Amino acid sequence: MTNKKNLNLHETTSPPKMKIVKEFRDENTKEVGFKFVDYYISEDKTLFQAHLHYDQLYTVRSAELSPYALGLLEGKIMGTKCPKCGDVFFPPRVNCWNLDCKLTKTEWIELPQTGKVHTYTIAGWSGRSSLKRLPFVLAYVILDGVTTAVANEIREINPWNAEFNMLVKVKFVPKEQRVGAITDFYFVPADDWKPSPMNPEKERIKKLCEPVYKWVASLK
Amino acid sequence: MTETRKVCIIGGNTTPFDYNNYHMTIEGMAANVMLETMDDLPEFNLRDIDFVIYSHFSVHFGKQLCPEWIIHDHLGLVGVPHFRVENGGNTGGSALYAAYSIVKSGIADVVPVIGWETMDNVSQSQGAEFIAIAADTRYELLVGGIYPIFYAAGALKWMKENKFKEEDFALIGMKNRNNAMDNPKAQWYRNEHKYLTVDDVMNSRLIAYPLKKYDCCLMSRGLAIVLVCSEEYAKKVAKDSGYITIDGAGLSSCTIRAGDRTSFPGWNERYGKGYPDLTEFAACRNAAERCFKQAGIPWKDSYKYIDVAEIHDAFSSSEAQIYKALGWADENNIAEFVRNRETFMGGSIPTNPGGGLMGYGHPVGATGLMSTVEVFYQLTGKIPEKHLSKKSEVPDARVGLVNSHAGTGTSISNFILRTAEGGR
Ligand SMILES: [Zn+2]
Repeated sequence: MTNKKNLNLHETTSPPKMKIVKEFRDENTKEVGFKFVDYYISEDKTLFQAHLHYDQLYTVRSAELSPYALGLLEGKIMGTKCPKCGDVFFPPRVNCWNLDCKLTKTEWIELPQTGKVHTYTIAGWSGRSSLKRLPFVLAYVILDGVTTAVANEIREINPWNAEFNMLVKVKFVPKEQRVGAITDFYFVPADDWKPSPMNPEKERIKKLCEPVYKWVASLK
Repeated sequence: MTETRKVCIIGGNTTPFDYNNYHMTIEGMAANVMLETMDDLPEFNLRDIDFVIYSHFSVHFGKQLCPEWIIHDHLGLVGVPHFRVENGGNTGGSALYAAYSIVKSGIADVVPVIGWETMDNVSQSQGAEFIAIAADTRYELLVGGIYPIFYAAGALKWMKENKFKEEDFALIGMKNRNNAMDNPKAQWYRNEHKYLTVDDVMNSRLIAYPLKKYDCCLMSRGLAIVLVCSEEYAKKVAKDSGYITIDGAGLSSCTIRAGDRTSFPGWNERYGKGYPDLTEFAACRNAAERCFKQAGIPWKDSYKYIDVAEIHDAFSSSEAQIYKALGWADENNIAEFVRNRETFMGGSIPTNPGGGLMGYGHPVGATGLMSTVEVFYQLTGKIPEKHLSKKSEVPDARVGLVNSHAGTGTSISNFILRTAEGGR
């Protein structure tokens, strides 16, 4: 990399020699290019439509964010800290957001695995990849000492029991299931946390969740 | 800024907005809407176009890069410069901003903005996930977040801080869908086609607490065109049909991840530490302040100076949050403002009389343009002709607001439009 002026740039080894460490692609993950799979004609024979399948495998280069991904594999939450203003970022920012810090490169630090719920919701519907997990609590949590909030699921809780400012801790999925992505961990209530008594709002949420449980059970 | 020339809107229309029941290619939709616009404006000629801005959000839906190239030459336009604007839910507003800038600067005189989305090309849950690819995929998308979930997380905290009830959000969901019942191009009118009560909204299925199905916008197929031009051209071709001026235009940005709004230095400096948090729309406020200043309107209580508004009600909750960001109310009176039905037809600022995203529909790239078209109709007296009746007309409206909004508030534009002198 040319860095003649000695700027504090992000650098990577060049050329990087990447070595496959783990592959968990199943037989359904295939790139087959454009492929028509059916067609339809309207009853009055005036309109035509068809389904086209197209799949793509993406390379996600973590690059200078690699300490974050590598940390997840090891069960660590790696964030960044600005050496000038002290702001701490998770999700990590590799340059400081403060204009006065002039894109100062941040430093990697291991973060505590405890935090507080800033806000949350109980999801009753989601994208294709998440339908079978419904209903779930999606919370924005501020990890202790961090400036920003991170979104992730709170598990091991009845959805209607989630509350503002509740203390949570990070729990990692088993090591062999980790993929170096945010889904390698989730939040669970802190050890000494107990749900507050039921109240009308919690009853209301519980009632809203009932058909969601039924619907998910009916999914193939 | 030095005084530059006025920018006008002389026409605009949309296709019907629909989902799965509307078979039409993008070039067919563009031709239809252009034909309707030419019929409204007999003196407008396709040969007068000297720039086209295309407004389209996600090429995922069409499996086609540069789909605007298909439309452009289909309209017979070769040689005319064009490019596409893509800016999430604020694609329409941003495209309008681009056309406004081009005309304002004198680069071109007649600039149609053409926007569309074909979201019914994929299933609903796949579509929701496609849109969520605009969230930071590395963090937010993967944890199961789609936009309704991110918005709900912000709305729940907002609800507590502003003494709001679920029923207050429901009131807004009801309003916009019921408004759409007077609009034959609205998806709600064309498909479900029924009047709702607050109870109907409350009893609809959970999407993400506190939002239910009828608190959320519709996914749509549809296209819209707004015809932007110089004042000179407007005077030439739209003297009889009526036209409006863009008196204020504001565009602002915020973070991609809502979780980064706890203490962003740029906002701390401008609005004090901790604003906007995950609850307020700083970009909307900032864009409104800029836009209103150009139009000579104060931010606080700005609704007193505006007759009609079409705003980005992706969710009933975000409509309420937008009221606040536009300066219409604060944490002390926002609940009262909503409960008093100030934004219903006949209220002090009828909002989304066309149905909004919840009633008219939300084919992303067309949405901000649809809002603009609706305000254009209101300000030029065309509602009785374009809607089913005068029920959804704001009588004698002369000042309108258009709001277009992206991400979780990541990019937002606001426009103040006024009836041109003798333009009605
Ligand atoms: Zn810094």
